[in-house]
Amino acid sequence: MKSEYQPKVIGFLCNWCSYAGADMAGTSRMRYPQNIRIIRVPCSGRVDPLFVVKCFQRGADGVLVSGCHPGDCHYTEGNYYTRRRFALLREFLDYLGIAKERMRVEWVSASEGQKFADLLSDFTMELVRLGARSKI
Amino acid sequence: MDMELIQQIRDKARNLLEEGTVEGVIGYERASDGLTSRPFFAYDPSDTERLIFDETCAHNLVKYLLDKKSKKIAVVVKPCDSRAINLLLNEGQIERDKVFIIGVGCPGMVETNWNHKSETLQAKCRSCQLSKPLVYDFLAGGELERQAEEETYSDIMEAEAKSVATRREFWLEQFGRCIRCYACRQVCPGCYCPVCFAERLEPLWVGIRIAPEENDLWQTIRAFHLAGRCIGCNECERVCPVGIPLSLLNRKLEKDVKELFAFQAGLDPEEPPPFATFKKEEILEFEK
Repeated sequence: MKSEYQPKVIGFLCNWCSYAGADMAGTSRMRYPQNIRIIRVPCSGRVDPLFVVKCFQRGADGVLVSGCHPGDCHYTEGNYYTRRRFALLREFLDYLGIAKERMRVEWVSASEGQKFADLLSDFTMELVRLGARSKI
Repeated sequence: MDMELIQQIRDKARNLLEEGTVEGVIGYERASDGLTSRPFFAYDPSDTERLIFDETCAHNLVKYLLDKKSKKIAVVVKPCDSRAINLLLNEGQIERDKVFIIGVGCPGMVETNWNHKSETLQAKCRSCQLSKPLVYDFLAGGELERQAEEETYSDIMEAEAKSVATRREFWLEQFGRCIRCYACRQVCPGCYCPVCFAERLEPLWVGIRIAPEENDLWQTIRAFHLAGRCIGCNECERVCPVGIPLSLLNRKLEKDVKELFAFQAGLDPEEPPPFATFKKEEILEFEK
């Protein structure tokens, strides 16, 4: 994708599924936009809403929180909490003026390298469409 | 002033102190402007003559229970404040048998300022549906008939209908005025972390300088930490020295929590709050 504007994406990926999924995309040589900076977390339930808000404060254009599919959490139920928390945070950030499209919560398993690559292409394209966030 | 009600509060407080059932009573007394009121701690039976209750007693006294955990304390509680009691019981912050709750029926609180009392009811009182506290040991003045409006969240919906950019502009202007005095936190019965994230130095989540982006982070997370926990006493907005409309944040979250998880904070001391539980089968918006 050719574009002047390169959005900055921060990705919080859980160690057991999504990080392995991203690894799968890499080792399978799939191409996806290089806009993402990946942070590995033990579980998507580790991601404090504070991390996400802080990312936006420090100039991220989009934030991805990704973990195991519901029911597949390595810690049995971590991602169920994630789901509730970020469903509300997305709404709330939107209300405060950070469009909810800028925050994604996705379930990516260790074997879904293709899904991860597609997801990032889609997300990056969406962020380019939304344009840069206005600076404070 | 309803002297009969006040006498009931005074008598009960005096009894409790004389019998030694409690070590102190937290209530209201007349402020030094002779018009409004302020919190009052009675430790001696003779102090109880200073207790009052009228439409200026807006303070949520439940907050003080957090500082008095080791003692048995009595506290004067309005219907809205009683939800804070339920919240703290739910979260294991206070023990029910260490608190004696003097409930009062509430006619609604008016807007006050130092040396000034208006006739206008506070917004939260206009839509308050509670005729008496949800939990009490003694009810002074009995249950009151209330003519409450329905909570329609019309102001929230109005804001939601605007564009994202407009909302951003609005909130940056509001947060830009914040001086981060943290009065909103100090007065909130739900804010009791021993070390607040805003005062953590390692990592330094909220920068020390008073700048719009730091204020923005503070306000966003403060409100979000109270998601599904805010009991709507609206003390944060009342004490804000620069008049940031914090109820627009708290009530937005209250509305969404109601819609997403069918939960309202402080109504039940047993029901787990929305972020401490989950339903396996639920499908939330972003998954559709």
